[in-house]
Amino acid sequence: MAVWLPNCLTADAIHARAGHQFAPPSPGKDVTVTRLADIFLKAALAAMLMMGSCALLVLALPMDARALETAKCTARPNGESGSDVYGGKETRITWEGLAGTEEPVAALSLTLPPGTTFSTDDARVTMLSGENNMDRTVIDAEVSAEGETFTAKFPEPAPAGGYFRIELYQVFFPADGGPMPITGSYVLDNGTELPFDAGAVQTIGISATAQLAESLEAQEWVQAWNSNKFLRLFFNPPIIVESIPIVFQGFLLAIAIVAVSFPCAIPLGLLLALMRMSKIAILRGIASVYVNIVRGTPLFLQIYIAFFGLPLAGISIPPFVLGFVVLSMNSAAYMCEIMRAGIQSIPGGQTEAARSLGMNGAQTMIFVIIPQTIRRVIPTLTSEFILLYKDTSMLAAVGVMEMVYNAKMIVANTGSITPYIVAALFYLVITLPLAKVVGNLERRLDGVMPKKKRKQVAEQTIEDAS
Amino acid sequence: MTELEKASAAVSDEAVIRIENLQKAFDDNVVLRDINLEVRRGEVVVVLGPSGSGKSTMLRCINLLETPTGGRIYFEDTEITAKKVNINEVRARVGMVFQNFNLFPHLSAKKNVMLAQQKVLKRSKEEAEQVAIARLTEVGLAERMDYMPSQLSGGQQQRVAIARALAMDPHVMLFDEATSALDPELVRDVLNVMKNLAHGGMTMIVVTHEMGFARDVADRVILMDGGVIVEEGTPEQVFDNPQHARTKDFLGHIK
Repeated sequence: MAVWLPNCLTADAIHARAGHQFAPPSPGKDVTVTRLADIFLKAALAAMLMMGSCALLVLALPMDARALETAKCTARPNGESGSDVYGGKETRITWEGLAGTEEPVAALSLTLPPGTTFSTDDARVTMLSGENNMDRTVIDAEVSAEGETFTAKFPEPAPAGGYFRIELYQVFFPADGGPMPITGSYVLDNGTELPFDAGAVQTIGISATAQLAESLEAQEWVQAWNSNKFLRLFFNPPIIVESIPIVFQGFLLAIAIVAVSFPCAIPLGLLLALMRMSKIAILRGIASVYVNIVRGTPLFLQIYIAFFGLPLAGISIPPFVLGFVVLSMNSAAYMCEIMRAGIQSIPGGQTEAARSLGMNGAQTMIFVIIPQTIRRVIPTLTSEFILLYKDTSMLAAVGVMEMVYNAKMIVANTGSITPYIVAALFYLVITLPLAKVVGNLERRLDGVMPKKKRKQVAEQTIEDAS
Repeated sequence: MTELEKASAAVSDEAVIRIENLQKAFDDNVVLRDINLEVRRGEVVVVLGPSGSGKSTMLRCINLLETPTGGRIYFEDTEITAKKVNINEVRARVGMVFQNFNLFPHLSAKKNVMLAQQKVLKRSKEEAEQVAIARLTEVGLAERMDYMPSQLSGGQQQRVAIARALAMDPHVMLFDEATSALDPELVRDVLNVMKNLAHGGMTMIVVTHEMGFARDVADRVILMDGGVIVEEGTPEQVFDNPQHARTKDFLGHIK
């Protein structure tokens, strides 16, 4: 009742303001309208005062002529936790309202926002009475649904001033979320139909995949599938659907990290390789110490040292950048050895031929040795790429939101291992095709030429022979 | 043809390569003991000898692929064994052909011939390409210019290698068993290219086991054994009237 008073004031005030706003531009008329508005406002104030006294009267005397009003309008929380009500997910609405003391209600209806669905099955209308509304009488109402409107017709008008509760099941608010205002109307025993404000439910929007997960959950085959403990834990369909977009975010981040780290690690590794083969002992020493330390300690530990050590030392680097730096520096050490082995595998005759033509050491390296090395190490480099890509998972330990981290979050919420399986699939999407590429490259290097080229060479040999 | 051209490609008195007391040892293993040799402009010197006699090492010392442990080598007027010599300049003028061709496998025949011209002689791409086409045509590979080495036969590869060395306009060409790795039927093509070069007046030092080539083309034949020059003379002198037992023994084995 205390709420009702200011409501009334606001509504009238808005009317007053609206009247002013839409006044025509003519000054003479404007004055009249303003005056009219003033009168209206005064009337509103008077009405308010009057109603205020009415309210006071209500407090004193239970007999008055007020209309039905909403006491409560809630929806059951349907999230994983907390008190949030999500759109697109099943919920239940509970509405309670008090009819006017002179209003014998014969029918009640609630109109939900457009796009909302509900079921009339199990819908229940209860009348509460007695001390603290503890006596409950279920009204055997005739319920019906028309569009978004739920109507309950009472077998006989309820006693005036009744306190009603409506419970509506299998309610699905629209998926985009937002405030969901509910309007209502009631019919008195004399057939008068009156509207009322049934309150509003605040809902939160959910994504298309969450909706899909929701609808999967309701399906029979999914329930049958999930009745197997193993399948439910590892291959839970709704959780698969829900995990994909979240793990995909991590997938993009992992790809981004590798896409930056790998190209940086190649020249760094090459530089280290050249240093390790240098004639200058200091360069050789630096490179070999670096390579041995990095290869001799776990990447996991290096990540910890970098992510926890640097901030303590007062150096703050964003996790993504630091992750990429640590991974490229780690990978460079391995690439150094790959490159070194590659360079050393080039026959000495190549260097001799280049040098005998007058090319200096640098020219020989750049134009003769390195191009051949790159060709030779491509399979090994691809393997290194696969390793690096998988190693991004270790950044989960320091809060970089890559695949494993994101999967872990869902696992923590759902208790299902399924998100990890989804993450595994995202790794395989990249690693399996690449592993095949490596295989093909290695076979080609072993001297098995692709079919087309083989044919070409064969033809040419015949040509030469003739 | 050979007689005429041989006559026209006169040998001058000017020494292109002069080797004085050359010694080379790999740790305790002495490969070259005391080599003295002068090769004049336009001269074709064929070096014979059993394997391990030091022929290849001597050749490799001439363009400093091996560093001599003693003695001096002069290329034209420069002592190339001196410390301050720009080795790369010398090497650009001393062409070398290897037993295993050593073509750059990642470059086409033409690019193989172009690379050092562009990087060492600083020729423009167009000029280098022109020279490459001319040299490859000379060795009979005009139609194979854009092939990769792996698509060429051994003989063709070796001819590309010769064209590659010739493109640098060398003053002397060193052939280190250039036909030893080839199938017998492919040897002829390479030897023909070498003969044509000799007849064109190129100064050449040829380490080979091809006695026919030595007899037909050489101005002088040298027989090495145990790191020293055992016998030296015209092909006729060495083949038909060898002075040393070693030479007789070696020639006997070959025949």
